[in-house]
Amino acid sequence: MVLEWEPVLKDVISEILETMFFAMVEFQDCGRGDRCFDYESEIELQNHEGRIAISLQLSEEFARMITAGFLGIEENQVKDEDLQDSMKELVNMIGGGYHARINDAAWKLGIPRVWKIGPDPMHRAQAPVWLDFSFFEEPVGSAVLSYLPS
Amino acid sequence: MSYNVLIVDDSRSMRKVISKVLQMLKFELGECLEASNGQEALDILEGKWIDLILADVNMPVMDGVAFIRSLREKNICGDIPVVFVTTEANENRLNQLMDLGASGYIRKPFRPEEMGAFLSRIMGEKDGFRMGTSVEGCDF
Repeated sequence: MVLEWEPVLKDVISEILETMFFAMVEFQDCGRGDRCFDYESEIELQNHEGRIAISLQLSEEFARMITAGFLGIEENQVKDEDLQDSMKELVNMIGGGYHARINDAAWKLGIPRVWKIGPDPMHRAQAPVWLDFSFFEEPVGSAVLSYLPS
Repeated sequence: MSYNVLIVDDSRSMRKVISKVLQMLKFELGECLEASNGQEALDILEGKWIDLILADVNMPVMDGVAFIRSLREKNICGDIPVVFVTTEANENRLNQLMDLGASGYIRKPFRPEEMGAFLSRIMGEKDGFRMGTSVEGCDF
């Protein structure tokens, strides 16, 4: 299930960004997560065997743009709390979409979290492969799914 | 006729979006009240007449399942439609909500016009204009 996470996450992220955030992104070949973005949000799916963590990193500019689209306001009206709340909602929908596609009732969706990425790498999810995406050829974000057995 | 709507979601952004969608749809909106979890919603319902509840499922403090169970156990709101707007994909949990008396659910992400069609059916049925279509669930 976890082995095939990249195409599933691509599909889920595209659908949600297009439907509710009015943005179309293009995915690159899997990167190494070495590009640094500004915000990270995360949600977990949990069952008795372990946890799946889905993390999403976005540049502030892109996060601000999609938050404006989501809320139907101008970008200069977007407050930091709007931006972080929208990023939580985005990763919440991504978690729900992933859950729907794996179609396994045993997994329970958690509560999303968001934080600003600091210079300390401990504040960023560590994973070998990231799913990088761009908006009009500008790198704007990255997503990763990690499986953590109990 | 205008309807008082209560939006229950821990995401302030999502509450704003739903409220905006209702306005865009020209839904006959009276008062639009907001709560960030089931407990806050119960507190509001004690003092306000509400015609439609739109609620999330996964929320801190009191989630959607505990909220609708509490509504039905305390007989608050009678037959007021409760529609869940959720990312929840667990069929067992969705069926549990329906068994507890939810009027239906809308899965996020959704398009405004799809939410409009769903709510028209729900509110139409409430007011006696049965459309003859199942409104149990709606995947967008």
